[in-house]
Amino acid sequence: MSKYGVSITELKEEKYLVDALREMGYRPEVHHEAVPMNSYYSEQEAKQANIIIRRHELRGACGDIGFARQPDGRLTLIAEELDAYHGYGEKWLGRVQQLYKEKQTLAMARAKGYILKKREAIQTKEGQQVRLQFAVRR
Amino acid sequence: MQDQTITITIDEQGHSTLDLEGFAGRSCEKVFEDFRGGDTVKIERKKPAYYTDQQAQREKSQR
Repeated sequence: MSKYGVSITELKEEKYLVDALREMGYRPEVHHEAVPMNSYYSEQEAKQANIIIRRHELRGACGDIGFARQPDGRLTLIAEELDAYHGYGEKWLGRVQQLYKEKQTLAMARAKGYILKKREAIQTKEGQQVRLQFAVRR
Repeated sequence: MQDQTITITIDEQGHSTLDLEGFAGRSCEKVFEDFRGGDTVKIERKKPAYYTDQQAQREKSQR
């Protein structure tokens, strides 16, 4: 083994985020300019996002869930705090990041000529892991 | 020559682990950057093979 690294997935590319959300069964809206999100509680401060899943698609959620483009290019999660207790917290975001990273990795590898040798889904105590193995085109 | 393989493991906590085998020096860094994909690196370690493969390549090119 030559090198080993652990990274935290940053959501930056809209395309793979939208694909990831679609794979989870949502129909996200995509807006070039951020638009308001709806909330169950009208007194809550208005939030805006570029990619939005409307509440009617989110079982048990208090409001829409969105991702807003930040000045540094990252897309960050915008959601009601309460919805973290309704199944849309860190675990949900982790699943989004997992699907995003897989899609981004496969697209990058295809574009740069790496060859996908194997894809495995492995069940662990901490949840499912996806393992992708590539070779270098000679 | 050892096969060059790249293994990326993506978990449900938003982390990914990248293992490179059979690479050395600059080619190792290039592949690492390709697969990092703009993510923030928490841990980065070069394995002993990184240096020994680099040494072997240097010796081969000097022959």
